Amino acid sequence: MILGVMLSGLFALILMGVPIAVALGLVAVGAIWYSDGFDALVNVALVMYDGATKFPLLAIPMFVLAGAIMNASGISRRLIAFASALLGFIRGGLAMINIGVSMFFAEISGSAVADVAATGSILIPAMKKRGYPKAFAAAVTSSSASLAIIIPPSIPMILYGVMADASIVQLFVAGIVPGVLGGFSLMLISYLLARNYGWPVEEIFNLRRVWVTFKEALAALFLPIIILGSIFGGVVTATEGAGLAVVAALFIGGVIYRDLNLSFLRAALLDGAMQTAVVMLLVAASALVGVYLTEQQLPQQLAQWVLSITENPIAILAMMNVFFLIIGLFLHSAAAIILVVPVVVPLISLVGIDPVHFGLIVCLNLAIGQQTPPVASVLITACSIARANVWEVSKANIWFIGVLLAVLMLVTYVPAVPMTLVEWLYR
Amino acid sequence: MSSVLASSPSLLDRISKVVERFLEIVVIGLMVVLTALIVVSVIYRKLDASLSFADEVASILLAWLTYYGAALAALKRGHIGFDGLLLALPRPIRLPLAALSEVLVIFFFALMAWMGWKVLVVLEGMSLVSLSWVPIQLTQSVIPIGGALFILCELLSLPTHWKRIAAGVSHEREEIEEIARHHMEENSGQAAADGPLGRGEAAAVTATASAPVRRAQS
Repeated sequence: MILGVMLSGLFALILMGVPIAVALGLVAVGAIWYSDGFDALVNVALVMYDGATKFPLLAIPMFVLAGAIMNASGISRRLIAFASALLGFIRGGLAMINIGVSMFFAEISGSAVADVAATGSILIPAMKKRGYPKAFAAAVTSSSASLAIIIPPSIPMILYGVMADASIVQLFVAGIVPGVLGGFSLMLISYLLARNYGWPVEEIFNLRRVWVTFKEALAALFLPIIILGSIFGGVVTATEGAGLAVVAALFIGGVIYRDLNLSFLRAALLDGAMQTAVVMLLVAASALVGVYLTEQQLPQQLAQWVLSITENPIAILAMMNVFFLIIGLFLHSAAAIILVVPVVVPLISLVGIDPVHFGLIVCLNLAIGQQTPPVASVLITACSIARANVWEVSKANIWFIGVLLAVLMLVTYVPAVPMTLVEWLYR
Repeated sequence: MSSVLASSPSLLDRISKVVERFLEIVVIGLMVVLTALIVVSVIYRKLDASLSFADEVASILLAWLTYYGAALAALKRGHIGFDGLLLALPRPIRLPLAALSEVLVIFFFALMAWMGWKVLVVLEGMSLVSLSWVPIQLTQSVIPIGGALFILCELLSLPTHWKRIAAGVSHEREEIEEIARHHMEENSGQAAADGPLGRGEAAAVTATASAPVRRAQS
């Protein structure tokens, strides 16, 4: 009953345009006031403070900052030149360059919107010029950028790890195989479409050019390998690795590429700070709801209710997939994770599903959610760059969403795909 | 930020600018200190001499970043929300709902600030575990101050926000357009200089592509 009132209140507030973080806070205030009286509201101040002091989440501002610095250092241009030398000889080359760069870039920025803005603003105009339909150009950029959500480092994964109390490092590792698999599948689809429509090749394969562009992109390629390597190897934690990534990005941008200046740096710092604050306010407000929910054992009751319908993990995962796909239509990925994950995790662990495995499923669902309007920040950024209509792009995007769905199914029902590396390295 | 309706700089605009500058300096400072703290503590740990206070202080600074940054985001109306339904409603329903939503936001942060103040009074005389010279009153002050700053920023950005809602313009859409435009401009300049696809034919393609295509479409 109370849960029903809270949920409808939350939806009503969000639909009226109240920011989601504040909507969560208001619902919690209402619930605490109703059940524990006015004096209990002093908890609002205590929990809103404690909720914002979650040490592992420090990885978020650090990765955003590292990504923004690398981006300001002209790294996207260098990666594109390298990908062009490597993949440009294949039919539909620009589409593949686009996907390849998104996969590299994902390892640095951790954020799909940053990715799509940085690579899309160079590649989409180039693709249009070479005769690719603009809807296709926007679709391929948008889908490959969303794949970034499961290739480490990934901000949604960090958030999931904290909300579900799962290992962030293991989540990162679990994303590698499905991410690469997804990237190659997107490339394959682009190749088939390119052959079908006669889209052009970019340049003749030239080993010397591969070498020249490789040397230029070397630092950018090595940064993620070293940082992620030390995180995976247990030398540093994810948060420490993120801090080191900032220093490395400053070194590469300022000393090696010498493209960094103070106004870029200021913008990068502000970008990192604002993105973090927006996410952290959500985290703090959800802690407020969380205290109340835990007190009332509501997640456990929800788990019991679902288990009374079915105890089959396959059916429960199917329900979760449908649920998260619907949520992804209307919510940003960070908001979706913060809102839903704490409530469903008790259920997941009761049925014996590995929280790391589930984390990957959640992130993939939300990657698809970034491609499906009305709320689809990545898709809309790509459309805006391509000056293309959202619905036209969505039509062209069906192929790529299909690929993402196929990867989702594979990850959901063949746990070995994400989990083999995790088992091998950590268990 | 307010690309819908540009007006001559009023007193309100000037106050906004001052508050914005102040918050920017605070959050940039926090980011720099946080990064330095994390890096220094890794180095210390690798030298087998851990900094006992590093984690506690970093967590506190994260909370500060949260609330000072949240106020800055409120000034730029950057908090995550869903305005699809609201903007689709007819004006006579849309505007009262938008007004109610503003009142609720201000109510929440007023409550948070007030409760935060009550907590501060109770915490008199206590200090941090790892740094005993830092009073908890200082670290916890972020809640009442953050709440008050959020309300100030919400009010300062209200006129522009209101005009946008009245005109039925989505702020998020506008922001995305802005990001896209910004990146396109940056790259069309650089593309001509040294060619994103490398030297040779491909470079020429992109260099000529960005600018004219954009003009043709807009």
